[in-house]
Amino acid sequence: VTEPGRKVVCLVNGSLRGRKSSSSGFLWDVSRRLPDSDFRKTFVTVKGTAADSYPLDMLRPMAEADAIVFVFPLYAYGLPGALMRLLEDFDRYVRSGNPHKTGASVYAVVNCAFPRADLTTGEAIRVVRNFCRRLSLRWRFAVRIGTGPVVALTRRVPFLDLTLKRAFRDIAVDISDGGDEPKADYIVRPIIPESIIRRIKEYYENKGNMVPRGRRSPKARSG
Amino acid sequence: MTGQNVNRAFLVCDHDGATAVSDDLKVRLGVLLGLRGYATEVVELGRSDAAPCRGCLLCLTKHPGECVTKDVLGDLVRRMNAVRDDSITVFITPVVFGHPSSIIKNAIDRGAGSRTLQVFVGYGEDIDEEEESTFIDLIARHRGSADIVHPGMEKEFLGYVTRSEHDNASICDALKERL
Repeated sequence: VTEPGRKVVCLVNGSLRGRKSSSSGFLWDVSRRLPDSDFRKTFVTVKGTAADSYPLDMLRPMAEADAIVFVFPLYAYGLPGALMRLLEDFDRYVRSGNPHKTGASVYAVVNCAFPRADLTTGEAIRVVRNFCRRLSLRWRFAVRIGTGPVVALTRRVPFLDLTLKRAFRDIAVDISDGGDEPKADYIVRPIIPESIIRRIKEYYENKGNMVPRGRRSPKARSG
Repeated sequence: MTGQNVNRAFLVCDHDGATAVSDDLKVRLGVLLGLRGYATEVVELGRSDAAPCRGCLLCLTKHPGECVTKDVLGDLVRRMNAVRDDSITVFITPVVFGHPSSIIKNAIDRGAGSRTLQVFVGYGEDIDEEEESTFIDLIARHRGSADIVHPGMEKEFLGYVTRSEHDNASICDALKERL
């Protein structure tokens, strides 16, 4: 139930790594900027169990919200399967005649392992926009974070990650009094140089047998 | 053929989201793969068969290629890991907001794809233009040098969208050239 003067915000954690996840840290950062005096907040975390659909008590907060903030890691250039299942179940919930708040504002905070989120997260954001269009929700903007684990570690350091801090502040402001036109996305880069992050990534790709024999220790060719 | 020793094909389908069009496609692709000499295994995944990736990264850091989640999909991943360089994978998936369904995405996230060739065919009767374009672009992200996150892998990815049995026939014609 919407209380007069208080917006209802549903914060969705799309990571299955729980409190250890970068997504969880970013979600709490957004939440901290939404004071209880002005916002009634609900929290939904994706489930790791295979068979069951999402229960009504997880779908209803999304349906009742004035704003939904999806915070999730990038998996294979797309959404994690667990978050896709939540979107599928919410779509089914709405299609089966349950009421939902059309025109609710939607934001996405997506973090990827790669340093250049502007090059990797575009399709995942388009999927969330398609979700909004299908369900008559109001897409606002995304915060696209490169090398999320590094940014998650440095985000509380004064004078670092200022774009991230500005983006999260803007989510709070926009929920209160956003306009009609979608805004431009925020792109956040880690403070560690890209070349070092690439080396770490290649080490784990080789160790994890992700790269075929004979093509080990590849040189990055683009990006 | 995609490679000299490539002779196995996995046809991975979303059992829960199956439609007349996807069933028709599955039959057509099975026949095509058989004619091209592949030993084809059809894997039908339902919700209870394919738990999502937990993001623990233990399949990279501790026991390469093995998923900690034990289910039907985990079994497929384990078998795929043994033939990853000598097989192809064809995913048949509903297109949901321009994205593979959660069941097929779980299979992708947990590493059920071949390292030689992965084919994605998305289906749905009411896929709009933007969703089709999103789906195709998402698949293209993984293709060869377009995969900027993993530039050493040189995987071949093909993506198609079908809305009808007529589209299925065209996709199979196009695939004849690539298999």
